Amino acid sequence: MSALFQSLIPEFERMKQRYPAGFESSLVLPCVRRVQEARGHVADEDIAAIAAYLRVPRIQIEEVLSYYTQFRSEAVGKLRVEVCRNVSCSMNGAERLIGHLCKRLGVAEGGTTTDGRITLSTAECLGSCGTAPVVVVNDQYHENMSIEKVDRLIDGLKGD
Amino acid sequence: MPQIFIDGQPFQARREQTVLQVADEHGIFIPRLCWHKGLSIAGNCRICVVQVEGRSWVEISCNMPVSEGLRVLTDSELVREHRKATMQFITLNHPVDCGVCDKAGECTLQDYHVAYNGERSISVEPKVEATKFYALSKRITLDNERCILCTRCVRFTREVSQSHALGVKHRGDHSLIRPSGDMPLDRDAYSDNIVDLCPVGALLSTSFLYKDRVWTLKATPSVCPGCERGCSIDVWHRKPEWFVRSLDARHNRTIARVTPRDNPAVNGPWVCNKARDLAQLLERTRADTPMRKGRAVSLDDALAAARALIEQAKRPVALVSSWGSNEELQAFKDAFGARFGCFVKADHQPADGEVLQDELLIRADKNPNGRRARELFGSAPIEYPADTDLVLVWGEGCDFARLPRGVPVIFLNAFLAPENGHADVFFATSVHTERAGHFTNFEGTVSAFSACFSRPPGAVDAEQVFAALALQEVLAP
Amino acid sequence: MAKDTKILMTFPVTATSHRLEEVRARGGYQALEKALKTMTRQEVQQQISDSGLQGRGGAAFATGRKWSVIQLGDGQPHYLCANADEGEPGTFKDRWILENAPHLLIESMMIAAYALEVRHAFVYIRGEFEGPYRRLADALEEAYAAGLCGNNILGTDFSCDLVIYRGAGSYVCGEASALITSIEGKRGYPRNRPPRLTVKGLYQLPTVINNVETLSNVAWIVAHGGAAFKAVGSAKAPGTRLISISGHIARPGVYEIEVGYPWKRLIYDDCGGMQGGAKLKCVIPGGISTKVLTGEEIEKLNLDPAEVEPAGSSMGSGGMVAIAEGTCMVRLLQVMLRFYHHESCGQCTPCREGMGWLHRLIDRIVAGQGRLQDLDLMARISRLQDGNTICGMGDAAGYATLGILAKYRHEFEHWISTGRSMHEGNLECRRSS
Repeated sequence: MSALFQSLIPEFERMKQRYPAGFESSLVLPCVRRVQEARGHVADEDIAAIAAYLRVPRIQIEEVLSYYTQFRSEAVGKLRVEVCRNVSCSMNGAERLIGHLCKRLGVAEGGTTTDGRITLSTAECLGSCGTAPVVVVNDQYHENMSIEKVDRLIDGLKGD
Repeated sequence: MPQIFIDGQPFQARREQTVLQVADEHGIFIPRLCWHKGLSIAGNCRICVVQVEGRSWVEISCNMPVSEGLRVLTDSELVREHRKATMQFITLNHPVDCGVCDKAGECTLQDYHVAYNGERSISVEPKVEATKFYALSKRITLDNERCILCTRCVRFTREVSQSHALGVKHRGDHSLIRPSGDMPLDRDAYSDNIVDLCPVGALLSTSFLYKDRVWTLKATPSVCPGCERGCSIDVWHRKPEWFVRSLDARHNRTIARVTPRDNPAVNGPWVCNKARDLAQLLERTRADTPMRKGRAVSLDDALAAARALIEQAKRPVALVSSWGSNEELQAFKDAFGARFGCFVKADHQPADGEVLQDELLIRADKNPNGRRARELFGSAPIEYPADTDLVLVWGEGCDFARLPRGVPVIFLNAFLAPENGHADVFFATSVHTERAGHFTNFEGTVSAFSACFSRPPGAVDAEQVFAALALQEVLAP
Repeated sequence: MAKDTKILMTFPVTATSHRLEEVRARGGYQALEKALKTMTRQEVQQQISDSGLQGRGGAAFATGRKWSVIQLGDGQPHYLCANADEGEPGTFKDRWILENAPHLLIESMMIAAYALEVRHAFVYIRGEFEGPYRRLADALEEAYAAGLCGNNILGTDFSCDLVIYRGAGSYVCGEASALITSIEGKRGYPRNRPPRLTVKGLYQLPTVINNVETLSNVAWIVAHGGAAFKAVGSAKAPGTRLISISGHIARPGVYEIEVGYPWKRLIYDDCGGMQGGAKLKCVIPGGISTKVLTGEEIEKLNLDPAEVEPAGSSMGSGGMVAIAEGTCMVRLLQVMLRFYHHESCGQCTPCREGMGWLHRLIDRIVAGQGRLQDLDLMARISRLQDGNTICGMGDAAGYATLGILAKYRHEFEHWISTGRSMHEGNLECRRSS
């Protein structure tokens, strides 16, 4: 069993208490999310560990990992930068933002910088239409962005 | 018992039925791709739509419960329009592989295209590409481009074989059927059923790949001899009009493939993989001539020698084959039941790594007719009285080292084996695919099998040997 | 004189207005106390039925009617799920409640759980809503600590645990049956009906799923009575609606309007018209799955389903997008179709294949290789998906497509015949000043 998973078991046991009996299968998403928070992605050994711990078929976890856009089975850059490109954000400059970021970071959409630090991707509607365009960095919303603001944001990240 | 109307005709339905089930029961055909009677309802293909009279929309019939007075139309204008649309959607990204696809000739998509669409695609967009020839397991090849995501295969591994070996990864039109990371499909003893279940040529048997076209083959009803369940099967082999002349003639008498024959009393719609591999079992090298102490002789010669041995024996013992058919067993009983001390022999033992027994079909006794044999000859363990002076061994599985020393042996076997040459008299016999007969399974259900092939020259039906030895007839060659 | 009652946005939002002490100071949790201590479950349900409350997730199904399918005393566990998966593009009004009034949701859910004999309730919140999740989780801990949730609520013998279940990125999980399949720990695949979810839902047990805003009205209804709620809004749709408005509007945000409020007033008075004084071209009324209406059309309408529906559209999810003149409708539809293609779960044939088809088709038009017959083809694909899919998403792309084609076909024809957009492919607001 993956050592990382082992260390999370007390947390999972507490989580289980809030769910009705017989809801072990429901814990798949929260367990996957928590493992991903700790490791940065969900590794093969984590899949086996979660399957054994929750007593669900391994394939269920693999399906879940591949279906939901927030789950990753491979490592990405330390900083994940996502730009919404749906309706209101596009109407407020998201496309120019994405183009600018691609040029500035030297990556295509979905790509990672050569130093492995920043992964840039696009996202669909994030429920931030009133403060468009929105840029999400490691799951944190940065709203009302512009090219100048996003440049300052990236400059700030470079210090990390 | 609600009464419903299908295309204006009244039918008595059962409360728990769906419209599709009622239609099936009464021979009204509603097309279906994802629905299968042995699996849960998925309702994703949308081809089974019907129109409730008075409504301006269509609904799937596989998930439509019956209710008193329900009136549906299976072939209205609206239904036809939607079926045609569904066919357009399904074939949107489906590669036109028919020329090289094993499923051609028995492909539901081909049949439905002709029946319900008949037009070329109205799309000019390039087709979505996906993996071809993905090894789902050692036995099954998957072509994701041909897959229509009906999920029959996934549901089978979840609900029937319970190996949970398959799932759907990703989503949208990038969805792919994929095996679980630890490849349990290789360990799923029922995996090959998904090849039959697949309505298109996405799931293919790797051993059958490119070997034949289905229209050159015919299916002969038979029974699987792999265990005492005796599943009903279809044995596929070349039609006489498709016999090859210039290639190896063995093509004409080989088992091309085995599929389940639906039998609610025995196996339902499934068989295990051992049935699929029947060729491996039955096409081992055959014994091809009667012999006396390893020397090839004529059949008459062998019969005469056997008769002589039997006449002078005072304490003959017989080991009866649990692979013998009901007819052969009866003939043996008639011929030798009084004379010989008979013991039923388990011709086959489970092989290393073979599934012993499970809750689905597989039984531990790997012989097809043990029950009938035991009914006729009892269940006593094999024991040779001290004064045994003749042993007749019928079928495989005898430990010749345990036979009493110096006692003459009459041996009947279909397959080439060293013991054939050691026997005082040896007869080369037919296998069950070369004759008609019946097996009785462990629950007492009798199933019939028919002949697929003619006997190889030099082999004889065991039943004829027994009859000849009993009645002192000379058997015509 | 437009009626302007507020039910949800009844307090000024500050840095602390969401916290329990301030909520209680405003009268929060008194409705829960009233329900648990002075009303039977049936009485609570009766108030909801009397109120005429309808779902505010987009489908507008009568809440009382949905609740009435639950058989009280049937001995089975019942479940309640709040749908906080808010993913319809243009919609961010549930987010307002989650961030600013999480206790209103919790209180309302406890009342609903009492009425429906629910022992375990869930809030399914989309995975991306990190901030709203923190607010809700903090509020939940406050509620537990104060005995407003969990065992023996407010000292009564009613107990209910609330679990916040985080999604992980799937628009389809906003569909009720996909939502509960997700809570079961699987892919968010919608289910065919029958059976209804109120009969067989979560783990095949009776389940009520309501939108966050819908549920958040329950506390007010219990406090003031169903009849009082019915007196607000319009005959066809009682109460208020939270409208989240964005796009090229000058003052985007969440506004609470009483149903029947004049559309023109919302756009020009409350929201300051378009950015930089631009002219309004058209409006998507309630999320991109509703049909677009022109600027001229909306000026004559009140925000009431009784008027919006005959005009050919729907108030939908309350996600309003205002579009200024100079916006290319072809590119706008392209953004929408790309979205639907990305979000299709892939389960059923018409959506799985059709969304990709529509997307590739419009990409081809934008690339300058469109044919005139492509427009009829898009309409045909949309019509053939409609009603023929497992969930409503199959219909949604069709509505968006047919709606835009109906009003702006000439822009598509122009692009097809000239290979170029009428508006240089522009999506941003061309300010006039």
